[in-house]
Amino acid sequence: MATHLNATPPPDAAPPSRGPATPGRTVNFKVRRCDGPGKPGRWETFAVTVERGSNVISCLQQIAANPVTVEGTRTTPVVWDSGCLEEVCGACTMVINGKVRQSCSCLIDNYAPGEGDTITLEPMQKFPVVRDLWVDRSRMFSALRRLKTWVPIDGTYSQGAGPKETPDDQEIRYKLSECMTCGCCVDACPQFLLEPDPARWETSFVGAHAVSLARLFNEHPTGRTLAPHRLEVLSGHGGINDCGNAQNCVKVCPKHIPLTESIGQIGRAVTVHQIKKIFFARPDPHAAAKGPG
Amino acid sequence: MTPDLSAAAPIQRPSLFERHYFLLRRLHSLTGIVPIGVFLIAHLTTNSAVAWGRFGLRGEFPDMGVRDGGVAYFWREVLWINQQVPHLILIEVVLWLSIAYHSVLGVYFAAQGRCNAHQYRYQDNWRYTLQRVSGYVGILFIFYHVATLRWGWTWLVPGGASWDHQRSASTLAAALRGGENFTAAGLAVSLFYFIGVSLLVFHFVNGLWTAAITWGITVSAGAQRQWGYICAALGTGLMLAAWASVIGFATLSPAQAARVEDTARGQPFKVGM
Amino acid sequence: MATDKRVIVVGGGLAGLAAAVRLAEAGTPVDMFSLVPVKRSHSVCAQGGINACNEVARQQGYSEYEHFDETVYGGDFLADQHPVLEMANWAPRIIDLLDRMGVPFNRTSEGYRDLRLFGGSLFKRTHFSGATTGQQLLYALDEQTRRYETEGKVSKYEFWEFLWPVVENNRVVGIVAQDLRTMQVRSFRAAAVVMATGGCGLVYGKSTNSIICTGAANSRAFQAGAWYGNPEMIQVHPTAIPGADKLRLMSESARGEGGRVWVPRKKGDARAAKDIPEAQRYYFLEERYPAYGNIVPRDIATREIFAVCVNDGMGVNGENSVYLDLTHKDPDYLTRKLGGILDIYQKFVGVDPRFEPMKIFPAVHYSMGGLWTTFTKGSYNPAGPIPKHKSGSPAPIGSAIGQGMQPGAPNNAMTNVEGLYAFGEANFGYHGANRLGANALLSCIFDGLFCGQSVQTYIKIADTSAAPQSLFDAVVRQEESKAAAFTSTVSKGQPTPENNPYQIHKELGVEMTAACTVVKSEPRLRQAQVKVDELRDRFARVQLGDAATWTNQTLAYTRAVGDMLVLADAIVKGSLQRKESRGAHYRTDHPDRNDAEFMKATVAKFNPADRSVSVGLMDIDASLIEPTARTYGKKP
Repeated sequence: MATHLNATPPPDAAPPSRGPATPGRTVNFKVRRCDGPGKPGRWETFAVTVERGSNVISCLQQIAANPVTVEGTRTTPVVWDSGCLEEVCGACTMVINGKVRQSCSCLIDNYAPGEGDTITLEPMQKFPVVRDLWVDRSRMFSALRRLKTWVPIDGTYSQGAGPKETPDDQEIRYKLSECMTCGCCVDACPQFLLEPDPARWETSFVGAHAVSLARLFNEHPTGRTLAPHRLEVLSGHGGINDCGNAQNCVKVCPKHIPLTESIGQIGRAVTVHQIKKIFFARPDPHAAAKGPG
Repeated sequence: MTPDLSAAAPIQRPSLFERHYFLLRRLHSLTGIVPIGVFLIAHLTTNSAVAWGRFGLRGEFPDMGVRDGGVAYFWREVLWINQQVPHLILIEVVLWLSIAYHSVLGVYFAAQGRCNAHQYRYQDNWRYTLQRVSGYVGILFIFYHVATLRWGWTWLVPGGASWDHQRSASTLAAALRGGENFTAAGLAVSLFYFIGVSLLVFHFVNGLWTAAITWGITVSAGAQRQWGYICAALGTGLMLAAWASVIGFATLSPAQAARVEDTARGQPFKVGM
Repeated sequence: MATDKRVIVVGGGLAGLAAAVRLAEAGTPVDMFSLVPVKRSHSVCAQGGINACNEVARQQGYSEYEHFDETVYGGDFLADQHPVLEMANWAPRIIDLLDRMGVPFNRTSEGYRDLRLFGGSLFKRTHFSGATTGQQLLYALDEQTRRYETEGKVSKYEFWEFLWPVVENNRVVGIVAQDLRTMQVRSFRAAAVVMATGGCGLVYGKSTNSIICTGAANSRAFQAGAWYGNPEMIQVHPTAIPGADKLRLMSESARGEGGRVWVPRKKGDARAAKDIPEAQRYYFLEERYPAYGNIVPRDIATREIFAVCVNDGMGVNGENSVYLDLTHKDPDYLTRKLGGILDIYQKFVGVDPRFEPMKIFPAVHYSMGGLWTTFTKGSYNPAGPIPKHKSGSPAPIGSAIGQGMQPGAPNNAMTNVEGLYAFGEANFGYHGANRLGANALLSCIFDGLFCGQSVQTYIKIADTSAAPQSLFDAVVRQEESKAAAFTSTVSKGQPTPENNPYQIHKELGVEMTAACTVVKSEPRLRQAQVKVDELRDRFARVQLGDAATWTNQTLAYTRAVGDMLVLADAIVKGSLQRKESRGAHYRTDHPDRNDAEFMKATVAKFNPADRSVSVGLMDIDASLIEPTARTYGKKP
């Protein structure tokens, strides 16, 4: 339960410095551009006038309206992915000054407090680039399908309330359930590599986000009925054993989700699951792979 | 767009490797602790006796100083292991197989990752990187160590010293130094030992730390931190033992060690010391 | 051609996902189109909670009926009343369902679902999951949809944009959509199409909405013949954090959990908030509305804040902002109940609201208006409307289903185009002239589940398989040539401020915010009409900066700007026509409600011949509750 109240922000998320950053100064954005899959990459730099409270998205919007590089060359607007602009949708993940994070909450005053400072924007490194800063993260959702991260309810007809739950348990599940599939954890993970071929996703590391969501649904009284399936998937190649415990995931998670605790928890569950399998029952692996619901 | 129906795709029988992936991974983790880790502790305890052995003599050789006493103790310990421990060859074979298994799978697994500690400079991430580096260097070191001192590949030893358990201290010192006196090549060997042993100690205790998460023993961040302190304490102890062993033998004169060995051999041998 | 009667759902927010789940469960194949992976839909931004009468509230005197009554009263008697009744009666069932899906609702110490106070009610009846309730509900439905996707019953088309409905004899037979990566335009057949496409906050430039909430999809359905209801009813949320790129919502739950709104009594008081003693703070909502205090409905709170800042010049430091103060509450309690929104404030403003009052100002938030829809009345039909329900008194009827709307009637939430449905915020129903806090999530899921059943009935009786392919090809060609016309402008040279789509959108946002939000007046609206006409004219000559045939975001954006201009036109015309003040629509030149003339829905229609927008009035269903003055007990 303490994880929620005591969650400490990552070191980069210091509150904006309210001192030296002067509104109206010029900041350079060095942007990694790429016209599409298989096309060569290039760098382009744009000068943007920033206001107090400007963030990377508001600056990209300015660039889009008038895409002229510092050399004075007119170019195409930068393509990027974004949605809510308040760090709950998970869309706008990028690599900013070498580290992955949400770009909407990246305040310029923190990253480039001085006149003429430069901010580097690159697409996420572990996903195929669609164009410029926009990447294809469908592998993450594919992992959720494989792990069946849902509660297998009977149907949407009225059947009364769900199970009761203590506030402590609710707090744990709520924290885990805040995962917005933004991809920060896997982009920073040394065990999660770029894999454009969907055929190989099944034997490539699923990543901390999926492990944590598997834990979330294993914690739910009804969701638990699919736990054997999830643990079977996580026992295999690409599962929990492929975690290298570098623990970058928990440090870059914008929602401060206790991902490494989920990894430990699933590690324990998988251990128990496999020991049970050896000593108490030997379910048909194919049946387990299909599972209920 | 259209859903990826990989989950519903016809199930092909996975390879032996895929089917037993969990077992192979956990066996990799387990072999690192038992027998390899346990052997490492025993090995370093024995070898570091060169530094502390004088205090384990229980009144024997009262004339010997710390140095010679350590040599004597070490020499007798090694002799006991080689002559009295039952099924020694079986133990060695199991150990070698374990090391081979741990190495081969370790290299394969390490190849599945890409270190990024230069980008994400977190302490845990540095340890992740170092775990892999220490694994690679460790394999080279263990191979050299075993080949030269166990299999008699003396052509790899500067000065050509051949280790002999009857003369364990003096031949070891000669193998490290490149002869009676330090040679440049001998210095390099000593340095390799120093680095190799240090990295292996790190590899073991850091592996112990991650194994606790892998097996699900430490789950909460607090538990992981506490276990980290325990591993660090163990690591510090083993590191001191490792350094004491390497420095102890690298600074030991083979001639002087041989004299101590002779003296010690003159004493009645006590079983089950 | 034999079809298995597919249904297309456009939009993957709460309403769309609920519909997809309900339809897939019934065995109907669903094709779901979304601009973004559905998990990133704008529903994710909803914070405060979801309303439903529960057993505790019921024993305190609350009822589904009172929830219904509050919603109608809160909406200033503009909503069709039967659908509201049905929604309120379904609310507890919906909460139970979400609970079963695993939504981590906050809990009491004994483990029951906790409740919080929300605007427009004197009872605690709002269920919540931290301060990110929308996110949690969306995720639960996203997971259920993923389950059906895995089973092959739902096909997701994510990063696909809805471009146009394919309509044959006023009956929808499919849509044309574009893949925003490959830019491929193609048609899809369907027996019914559900528009679950949300609101139109981006018409106002900066709002609390996500950048995908352009309203373009609704606008396209409107231009293709669907009517648009109550366009002028735009909710301005009283509490948002001003920002450069968007105005971030500060949930009503901040006030529901005890947050107090105040300004210094002394105009221009330059002292820090904590240095101003209690007696010198002006808690204007509490003083003016003793019964409801800080939890008056949004339109009222917004107008009061606006009046204090703009009319009286009493904003903090003379700026347009007031304090929203939670510092008297225990910080741990706040973290547990409101952590999500407090983090947003801290992240984007750099001040911890647990220890320093937040500075907030109203921002465009929600569109009560939307595609006009109809319904079939349920079984509760009193001889005439009965007086407003007295809070806490016994309800005149129970909460059995089917009293408000007839379950499964094929026309529930159907637009005037047969087979074209509008669910959630895209639907003009339920909220009338003002939406109560925590009713939006409810109306989305209710539409998806309850009206989803209606879609299921409709497709059984509708046979659209005979629609000729040429019809679909024609719409594809229409959209391809539209796109080609946009991209061909790139070769003409650089965009000027005159024809730059970004500039046109910016000017639209500024104008609409100034003329069409908190206070409106005939002269200002006339001026806005001129501006919108000018912008529509300029847009005809719009010039793009990217001719790419792969992932051309500029094209998608520009196309949406054109559609936003049409919606803006409808909003301005609706505002002009409604010569009264009702709910969120406040006219300084007509400050009173005029039930005789205007207790009617505004219905906008699009004339494709000259691309003009016209508005008219249409009777509403007010057969259940008599209208009364909506004062919320304001002190004279």
